[in-house]
Amino acid sequence: MDLEIKGLSKTYPGASVRALNDVSIRVPAGEFLVILGPSGAGKSTLLRCINRLVEPSEGKVFHNGAEITSANGDLRAIRRSFGMVFQQFNLVKRLSVLTNVLSGRLGHRSVLRSLAYSFPEADKRIAVECLARVNMDHKAFQRADTLSGGEQQRVAIARALAQQPQVILADEPVASLDPKIARQVLGYLRQAAQELGITVLCNLHQVDYAREFAERVVGMSRGAVVFEGPSSLLTDEVLHRIYYREPGEEAKEEQ
Amino acid sequence: MAVSATVDGVLAELAARKRWRLSHVAVAAVVVAFLAWCAEGAGLRPKELANALPAIGEYFYRMTPPKWEFSEVLWKPAVETLYIALWGNVIALLIGLPLGILAAGNVTRSALVRNSAKAVLNLLRSISELIWAVFFVAAVGLGPFPGALALGVNFGGILGRLYAEALENIDPGPVEALEATGASRLQVIAYAMLPQALPQFVTFNLYWFEVGVRSATVLGMVGAGGIGFELVTTIRLFEWRETGVVLLLILAMVTIIDMASTWIRSKIY
Repeated sequence: MDLEIKGLSKTYPGASVRALNDVSIRVPAGEFLVILGPSGAGKSTLLRCINRLVEPSEGKVFHNGAEITSANGDLRAIRRSFGMVFQQFNLVKRLSVLTNVLSGRLGHRSVLRSLAYSFPEADKRIAVECLARVNMDHKAFQRADTLSGGEQQRVAIARALAQQPQVILADEPVASLDPKIARQVLGYLRQAAQELGITVLCNLHQVDYAREFAERVVGMSRGAVVFEGPSSLLTDEVLHRIYYREPGEEAKEEQ
Repeated sequence: MAVSATVDGVLAELAARKRWRLSHVAVAAVVVAFLAWCAEGAGLRPKELANALPAIGEYFYRMTPPKWEFSEVLWKPAVETLYIALWGNVIALLIGLPLGILAAGNVTRSALVRNSAKAVLNLLRSISELIWAVFFVAAVGLGPFPGALALGVNFGGILGRLYAEALENIDPGPVEALEATGASRLQVIAYAMLPQALPQFVTFNLYWFEVGVRSATVLGMVGAGGIGFELVTTIRLFEWRETGVVLLLILAMVTIIDMASTWIRSKIY
C-alpha cells in the first residue's frame, strides 16, 4: 500500500527550466508527509503529476505496486483513489456545503444519475459523516460562499474524504489562512487521515507547520529533492539548503 | 464518535428538504401551464408548421444549384455590408462606452447621472435598428451611411448596457487597493476598473460586429445599403438560385468573422 515516485521530471512546454528534476520519493501507507519548499520549488507540479492533472515528462509513479503514470488504464479509477485539497479551496460557491461534499462521490457514480443531482442514500450518509469529521455538519445546508476561509477549507477536506481515497494530495492547504485557523485545519486533516488510514502528501512553505504536523519532511528546491528525513532534523543548515537562492537568481527564474 | 446522532439529524433534514422540493414541482407545473396559455396568445400552431415543412424544404431545394455567376454582382454590396457593420460598431463604441461607464453602479456614484445614462441607453436599445434605419434614410437619404448610423445608435444602446454590466462584475479588490494609494476617482477607473473589464469589452465588440454583418443584410430592405437589397429583390422576383448565392455569401462572411474574432480573442486574454 505504498506510493513510490521514481525519477519524476517535468518541463513545461516553452520553459527552459525543469519544474521537476529527477524526483524520487517513497511514501509508506498512512504517513503524513510534508513537502517543504519555497514558492516555485515544484511542489504543486509534483502533486499534480501524481494524479495526472499534469502529465510528467519523465519518470514513473507506482501505487500499491501498480504503475499509474503511463498506464492508459482508467484515469478516473486512478484519480478516485487520490483526494485533492487546494490552496484556494475550489468549492463551487453557489452550491450548498453538502452538495459540494457530495460531489466528492461523483468519481464513484454513473454520469447519468449524477446529472439529475440525485445521490444514493449511502452516499448522503458518507458525505454527512465526512462533514462531521471536520465539524462542519451544522452548516450542511448553507451556501459555500457564506463560510469563512477556514470553514471552506474544512468543507474541501470533507469533499476529499467523501471520495474515500487512499491518498490525499494537499497543495498549500493553509497558505491563505491565518496561523490559528491554519493549525486547526491541518489538525482536522491529520486527525481524519490518521483515523481512516489515509496517506497524506501535504505541500507547505511554512517551516513551523512542518515541524508541528509532519511525520516526515521532504525538502524541495528548484525542482529537486534536497532533504528527506524527520522534522527534528530540520536544522538551520538544512533550511538554508531549501530556501537559499543566489542573489539575483529569483529575478532570473521569473523571466 | 459521538457524531452519529448529528449525522442522522442532518440526513433527516435533508430528507425533509427533499419533500419540500415537491412544492418546486407545483411551481414547475404552473410555469408550464402559463407557457401553454401564452402559446395560444402567440398563435403557435405546431401542426401547420409540420405540414408546411415540405414547402419550406422546397424553397431550399429550389435554391440549388446556386447560380454562381450572380456573385459577380454581389461583391460590391457584400463589401458595403462589411463597411456598414464596421462603422456601425465604431459609432456604437463611441456612444456606448461613455454611457456604459456612466451607467455602471460601481463607477458612477451619483444616482441621477447613472439613471439618466441608463434611460438614454434604454431608449437607444428599445428602438430596433430597422426602425432607426427608416428614420435615418428619411434624414440623410439612401445608401450605406444611414445603415451605419442605425446600427451604431441601436448597438450603442446594447453595448453600453453590456459594458456597464462588465464593469459592475469586476473584482473590487484592486479598486480598493488603488483607492488606498490615494489615487483619484478617474485614476482608479483607468487603472483598476477598465483594465479588468477590457477583455470583455473586446469580446462584446467582436460579437456585435458579427451581429452587425447579419443586421446589415436586413437594412438594405429599407434602402440603407448593403447586400439586403439584393436579397429582398431576388426573393420578390422568385429567383431562388440567386437567393441561394446571397445566403451562402452571408454565411461565409459570418463564419470568417467568427473565426477571426476567436483568433483575436485568443491573442488578448
